Amino acid sequence: MSPVIYYFLSFTAINILMCWAFYLPYRVGQLHHLVVSCMMASAYFSGYAARQWSWPFALTLLVGTAIGMLICLLPSFAIGDAPCFTVVIVGLTVLFIMKTAIENTRALGGTLGFFGIPQVNNLLLLAYLCLAVAGLLIYRIDNSRLGRAASMVFVDRDAASALGVDVKRLGMLFQIIAGGLAGLAGSLYAFLIGSLFPEFFNLGVIGTLMCMLFAGGHSTMWGVVISVPVFEGLHLILPTAVASWLQVIYAVTLIVVILVLPGGLITKKMLVKVGERFRARPQTVSIKGGIKE
Amino acid sequence: MRKLCKSLGSVLLAIALMMCVGGSGALGAPSSKVVVDQWEIPFLNCLTGPIASIGEYMAWSAHRAADEINQKGGVKGKPIKIVDLDTGVSPEKAIEQMAKIVNKSLVALGPVPEACIMAAMPLAVKNGLLCMIASTTYEYQSQFFPYAVAWDSGSDKTLPPVLAGWAQRNPGMKRVVQFVERWACWPGMADAHAAGLASVGVKTVEIEVPTDAVTFGPLVVRALAQKPDGFVLTCTSEKAAKIIIELEKYGWTDKSKIIVFSSADDMPLYTTGREKLNGVYIYSYLDSQMETERWVSFKEAYKRAHGGMEPVSLSTVYYDCVYMIKEALENTPVTGDPKKLKEERTMIREYIRNIQNFEGVQLTWSMKDGVPTDKGTFLFIIKDGAKQYVDYFKPWK
Amino acid sequence: MEIFVAQLLNGLSLGSIYVLLVLGFNLMLVVAKIIQFAYPHLVVLSMYVCWGMLKYTNNMFLVVLASIVSCVIVNVAIEPIFRALSKKHGLDINVSFVVSISIALLITDVMSHALNYGFPIAFPTDWVGKSVLNFGLITFSVGQAYALIGGIAAVALFFYLLYRTRQGRVFRALSENSVLASIIGIPVVKTRILSYAIAGLLGGVTAVLFARLLGSASPSLGDFVAMKVVAVSILAGLGNLKGGLVCGLLLGIAESLAMGYLPGSWSNAIAFMMILIIMLIKPEGLFGIQI
Repeated sequence: MSPVIYYFLSFTAINILMCWAFYLPYRVGQLHHLVVSCMMASAYFSGYAARQWSWPFALTLLVGTAIGMLICLLPSFAIGDAPCFTVVIVGLTVLFIMKTAIENTRALGGTLGFFGIPQVNNLLLLAYLCLAVAGLLIYRIDNSRLGRAASMVFVDRDAASALGVDVKRLGMLFQIIAGGLAGLAGSLYAFLIGSLFPEFFNLGVIGTLMCMLFAGGHSTMWGVVISVPVFEGLHLILPTAVASWLQVIYAVTLIVVILVLPGGLITKKMLVKVGERFRARPQTVSIKGGIKE
Repeated sequence: MRKLCKSLGSVLLAIALMMCVGGSGALGAPSSKVVVDQWEIPFLNCLTGPIASIGEYMAWSAHRAADEINQKGGVKGKPIKIVDLDTGVSPEKAIEQMAKIVNKSLVALGPVPEACIMAAMPLAVKNGLLCMIASTTYEYQSQFFPYAVAWDSGSDKTLPPVLAGWAQRNPGMKRVVQFVERWACWPGMADAHAAGLASVGVKTVEIEVPTDAVTFGPLVVRALAQKPDGFVLTCTSEKAAKIIIELEKYGWTDKSKIIVFSSADDMPLYTTGREKLNGVYIYSYLDSQMETERWVSFKEAYKRAHGGMEPVSLSTVYYDCVYMIKEALENTPVTGDPKKLKEERTMIREYIRNIQNFEGVQLTWSMKDGVPTDKGTFLFIIKDGAKQYVDYFKPWK
Repeated sequence: MEIFVAQLLNGLSLGSIYVLLVLGFNLMLVVAKIIQFAYPHLVVLSMYVCWGMLKYTNNMFLVVLASIVSCVIVNVAIEPIFRALSKKHGLDINVSFVVSISIALLITDVMSHALNYGFPIAFPTDWVGKSVLNFGLITFSVGQAYALIGGIAAVALFFYLLYRTRQGRVFRALSENSVLASIIGIPVVKTRILSYAIAGLLGGVTAVLFARLLGSASPSLGDFVAMKVVAVSILAGLGNLKGGLVCGLLLGIAESLAMGYLPGSWSNAIAFMMILIIMLIKPEGLFGIQI
């Protein structure tokens, strides 16, 4: 496989994981920027454990995921049901604090960066395996009572609460799972690149991930599966003169998509329609209460 | 007899031919047929994003060198083409751009800047591609030896003599405040400054400059409260200029007791600081007042292309890189044949890592195993917006 | 004590600029229900216009006028995007936040690509000016004086408009309940456009004051300031105008004191830690959300 395709596919997998980490808390209306801090902490931990303690890849991946979950667990007690922008600010402040801590830690390379993380064979395959497991988990959540409760919270938090949804616990759960996904993405990221630099995890990363989520569609997990490869591959296929305006292209694309297709490229409604078209004949099944499906 | 004469004649002819072939080998490049139409040199550069202005002038200088070489007939009769690949300041973009070239290029320019170096260089190392990461310091380049070459011999060797030299020009200095912005190799450079000052008995107190600082009055008040005798500025050019303006506002008049580090030797220092910089010291790797024909020609062309702005340190590094690659291509039997990619990469790499008496646009230097052996640093004083040469310092051994 | 007073003066002048930015930002938030993250970027763009105008004339009136007009025009030109968004998404401020980040990205990239070769711009050194007050380390420059006095004047006028005029009542009515406001005959669209224009006007004035305080601007300045403006607005309580006033001023002072006193390389982290603790204890902001 050519290195271009290898890295394109690998970054696509990692970014889909990260977009899902953003997607899940957004199901309850929270822009959970803390996941970038989880990714950063997990990446540095995995890199350090692999280089200094020679930990096997699988173990670093597991512990990296756990670290991501732990970082989200602690603040979630306070921001599980907090307003969206409080969650934004908490995420951003933790990111800055963590960055300062790493910049001041010599063992992690400080401002110079962390070099020499060992390479892993079949990383691409493993990344897609992780992606499949994460995808299955999110699919199950989306199509469970939790998913339906989240949809209700997104539309009307007070009504959901009145109907018995524990908004805080739901928010906490989604934040913690999102942390785990980001931790997993961080570990994979460290092994893919082979070196780490505090500036890798900045506001630009948050901006790009949000672009991918909102352009792809924030109401379903499948939106980012389309938007991430497009955003990832755009600069590889565009001529250099045009590619140098890529930020502008991203920005304009996002604005146009949000204006023309409010829910993004893929919406829940669209998936239902596609599902119906693929069915041989729409079946009419009567269920309790006489409601037809 | 005739047979003997014929045989003798044949032998003599053969010897003459052999001498011709051998002679040509000794006089110039080893003869080998070039198979490429042009020498493509990719340049992984930051052409977009917040530091696109720096990427622009680095790209300009690489293209300038290529144009000059091509006007003189190219290398082995083939033109050089610089292929610009934008990294933004994004590690992902950098690694994907590196992936594009890693299996086909003989040598590469960049990546730029440090975040992209960190992301993309492990891939270059894995595939044995020499990358000329000339815009950063030894601390980064040395991590990727032998697939990178250093442009200086290390902050701890290059910088202390300059700072010590500056301190000796200001007798009576006992304590200085150093403003440090914590970015990439700058804290390491700050340590080297402190070591140089300590070698002449000057104590350094550090004050951090936050990356997102908007005003600098509070930092200057804090610094002046330390009752210092001088200041070292290890931060971006714009911030350095603003700190100098604030220092004057708070009554600091002796500008000779302020020194600015090389990475701040950039246009914003001069456009923001203007007449307030008069008398300030700055160290750099480029003497813009030099009067060699080659330098004057470069400087004038640069000013024409950049609205009259003077070239700064980083604006020449990739010009020199392109000439260094040209020399390597000329003096090794490289053909550009993709089948010989691995061995030809090695030839270029080994040539450049141990290049002798390379004539850069300003300095002439040699390298041993990828590290310059005799490349020093200039100390200047700023007068009327221009740097006036003060001294030249060789690195510590 | 001398150092403390000096830092306090520094903080006050910086804080007055933050206050102006937060006011413009909050006005659009309460009236139009959008998080205009790109507002500080627009102010920086106006600083570029200001700088461009200075190349042709030294007439201060024309320079200020150019700055204000450009900021009003660009801000009002953005309004249809948010109006269309509001039609498609309802009043979803999260989506408006994402779109405004895109606009900010666009403005920053245009500045770093096309204006002054991407280099920072510098205003004449006499804009920042000499000290008007000099007592040891307690120093106050002309630029700081302009920022503080101009800031106070602009804030006073803004609050007068909002709480003492008919138009102000219209703004407040719309912020309370846009449906009811519409029923009683308030022209919702026109009023929203007017709020963008007033925010633009405030932005233009802020651009000039900012230029006098800093003496330079760069494409990344918008990002640095936008983060602080959003943080202040959330810390105070989204849309809380009076809270924004207090927190903006406090941020300026806190930033100065942090730079002046907190230990070296951890000063930023400590400042963020304080914000984090407040947000964790009072997620609704110090003064409560008002949208």
